[in-house]
Amino acid sequence: MSRMPLPADRLVQPRLVGYDPTHPRPWLERIAYTLFFSALWVMVILAYGAVPALFRHYGWLSTTAGFLIYAAVEAVLAFLLAAVVALILIVVLRKYLGKVQERVGPMHYGPAGVFQTVFDALKLLGKEDFAPKRVDWLIFRLAPAIVFVSAFLLMVALPVAGGWVMADLNVGLLYIVAVSTLGAYGVVLGGLSQGNKWGLLGGFRAGAQLVSYEVPLALALLSVGVYSGSLRLSDVVEHQYGLWHVVPLFLSFLVYLVASIAELKATPFDLPEAESELVAGYNTEYSGMSFAFFFLAEFVELFLLPGFMVVLFFGGWHGPLFGLEPGSFAAGVLQSLYFLVKVAVWVWIFLWIRATLPRFRDDQLMDLAWKGLLPLALVGLLVAAFLRMFLEVL
Amino acid sequence: MNGLRFRKTAEFDEEVYAVHPEDYRPLLEALKAEGYDYPRSLSGVDMGYGLRVVVHLYGIESGRKATVYTDLPYDAPELESVTDLWPGLEWFEREAYDLFGIRFKGHPDLRRILLEEDWTIHPLLKRYDTGGYPLPDWQPAPWPEPAPWEEPEAAGEGGEA
Amino acid sequence: MRGPTTVEPVPGRTDELIINMGPQHPATHGVLKVVIGVEGERITRAVPHIGFLHRNHEKIEEARTYPQIITYTDRMDYVSGLQNELPFILAVEDLLGVEVPPRAKLIRTIFFELFRIASHLVWLGTGMLDLGAITPFLYTFRDREMILEITEKTAGARMLPNYFTFGGVRRDVHPDFFKDVAHFLDFFETRLPDYYALVLDSPVFQARAVGVGVLSRERAIARGASGPVIRASGVAYDVRKAEPYDAYPELEFEVPTRPEGDVFARFWVRFKEMEESVKIIRQALEKTPKTGPYKGKVPPRVKPKPGARYRAVEISRGHLGTYVVSDGSERPLRVKHRSPSFANLQLIPDLFVGARFADAIAILSSLDPVFGEVDR
Repeated sequence: MSRMPLPADRLVQPRLVGYDPTHPRPWLERIAYTLFFSALWVMVILAYGAVPALFRHYGWLSTTAGFLIYAAVEAVLAFLLAAVVALILIVVLRKYLGKVQERVGPMHYGPAGVFQTVFDALKLLGKEDFAPKRVDWLIFRLAPAIVFVSAFLLMVALPVAGGWVMADLNVGLLYIVAVSTLGAYGVVLGGLSQGNKWGLLGGFRAGAQLVSYEVPLALALLSVGVYSGSLRLSDVVEHQYGLWHVVPLFLSFLVYLVASIAELKATPFDLPEAESELVAGYNTEYSGMSFAFFFLAEFVELFLLPGFMVVLFFGGWHGPLFGLEPGSFAAGVLQSLYFLVKVAVWVWIFLWIRATLPRFRDDQLMDLAWKGLLPLALVGLLVAAFLRMFLEVL
Repeated sequence: MNGLRFRKTAEFDEEVYAVHPEDYRPLLEALKAEGYDYPRSLSGVDMGYGLRVVVHLYGIESGRKATVYTDLPYDAPELESVTDLWPGLEWFEREAYDLFGIRFKGHPDLRRILLEEDWTIHPLLKRYDTGGYPLPDWQPAPWPEPAPWEEPEAAGEGGEA
Repeated sequence: MRGPTTVEPVPGRTDELIINMGPQHPATHGVLKVVIGVEGERITRAVPHIGFLHRNHEKIEEARTYPQIITYTDRMDYVSGLQNELPFILAVEDLLGVEVPPRAKLIRTIFFELFRIASHLVWLGTGMLDLGAITPFLYTFRDREMILEITEKTAGARMLPNYFTFGGVRRDVHPDFFKDVAHFLDFFETRLPDYYALVLDSPVFQARAVGVGVLSRERAIARGASGPVIRASGVAYDVRKAEPYDAYPELEFEVPTRPEGDVFARFWVRFKEMEESVKIIRQALEKTPKTGPYKGKVPPRVKPKPGARYRAVEISRGHLGTYVVSDGSERPLRVKHRSPSFANLQLIPDLFVGARFADAIAILSSLDPVFGEVDR
């Protein structure tokens, strides 16, 4: 695109770090992206690898007090990780949408606008958390918490490297289905409790959409479980040595892809908060930090759903180890990098879809879920079962 | 169109009918039957001596244009609605009612359209200045002689241009 | 003071929700208010309310002299500002008996079609924003910026340039004008395939638009719909062909029509109109002499003879007519603007009832109202 020369009187006043629109600095953005990614990587290493390794090394986990301290530290770290993910993804989303739309995106706060989300969050913190008179107060306050906690709890089961997982549940796949469904309650209750007709419609739409898409999502997860023979996520990843699940379970992968975009309430499926139809949908009356928690949850899910996609279909942390011993700390660091790179690619694809497509209509959404995805997921399950039988015969 | 009090002239590229208010609707029914199926516009005009309603019509197939107008006195601005002939004139009649106070009998939903329901004046009347205040020394002009639909010599029926 | 068709809840009926859509709703293109009853997502009743942007131009214009009025007409359809000046100017020219030099006619036509592209670009961006796609909005506004800059160079203002005048245009075009317009057309033709890919060829868009909000040919004529709305219902009614003005008789172009009458057809017609506009501008650029008179002889004091004249032009939204009644003085007795969006919005009850709520948004954006023009 050719850059339009700006007259001198239209120059924007620089803030914090001087920004001069006549001298764009693309290298600054590249450095910023690299720093973002490194910060995320460090947080993941801390939360999933370093702190558990530290506690295990000194044997503190054997005592009750030690375990409690460990759990508390992990919870704080997971929360920090969620916050970092959201802060980074929001500014990445805005920068990326800017790129797609031939503009520059945020650029005033910090070099190349990297601190934009920090200031947004500060603004939301400083705002009055206002509740209108006609809301059902308890549910109105509870709903953002439910939404955020359900997204946050998913983080526990995410295996980022060999042995690096907060809780290696033997029912990991079921846990994903159970906890992510919990988020639907928050959205529906938030929409219904606020005494606003747009919120009510948004809540109804959200309820219908999230519940409908849970079914194909669960079936896709089930086919992975059937094929790999375990519900434990680390076993699922181990099972993919040699061949990633995306090849044999391609149908289930497609179902998971579409259903997870629907679970994210992102653009082709953003009906619950369709701003041109329902003003803001289920979060119409939310302000301040209550609104921020809905927002935070959305972006944590934007990290976690591609994350689980990578775990289930793209070999999780698999990648060349260059002679490092699997299970060692150094190998874990490298594997978590592989995992994060794969997730970043999928997050990018999700953002790309968000930037391109218009929105479906509610009945088409339901049609797609029940007439399109559900049969496809069942076929995918069938394929998985046959392949499993075939493998066992061999 | 026999028996109707109107005068037909040609101005520029369209036919202009001046019609007696009582024959307004019968004339428009006849024009509709002639093939003027597209309603271009309906306007109210404050002529200074009375109110004028002007209807602009167009025939999609024929490409012919017609203008029909009728003059009403200030004290009885009533006219028959033609919304059943051209549903597209529904809002135009509401607008004429809103801005001039012309009441269309038989209109399905004659409410104010641009102004609030509790507005008390009809702002496009010459009695009001641009601020909406009544002009203190405004007097209506005398009704023109002869009335617009009459030929100068005799009341005509479908006079030539 | 409520009229008979204002939406009131039916006593004892609990499955219908009455919603005020607007005047602060994000998808009502300004200040439309539609009171709708919804049963789940299906609309049972719809009553539009307009007038939130009413300035009563027509009263103000009665108190202004003829040249002063031109600048008010700009403010009606502010998205295609320049186009609104033309019907008033044509009507007054007819009453004055002014001859317009051919070069001025061609310049007017070029600007007229440029603003059609600009307006359709705004419609495309906001319409897709209503359907949930953000990106076309940014693309189209960037393209439109080039048209506004061309206008700024010549006329001195961007959106509401007050450039046309009785007998031609106010001043000669900028020396760069022809080069700039040709450059814009070349650029715009490279962008059109992107818009086709993002909008018309997108399966999600087609799912939203095909078969939605069907308007029959008879209903479109009877309701006085015009512009792309009536042409999408299979009626080839275009004022540029029906009563040609300015340089249109010398130019070759087609009137795209489509028989379906649904939202997709209205989008398609507007796309084709942009292509036709490009063709028209190219022809006009070839025919326009680089130098020459840009304004005919107009008396210094504009005092038309007593009489009345209704002139119409085809602006981006359809048939814009202006009825000028002159009593022989410097000020008109009455100026009536017949705006296309005003007539098109009467279709709301016809099209909304029975549609789904999300369809209503798509239908509204396919009607493309501009409220400066509806409320005047």
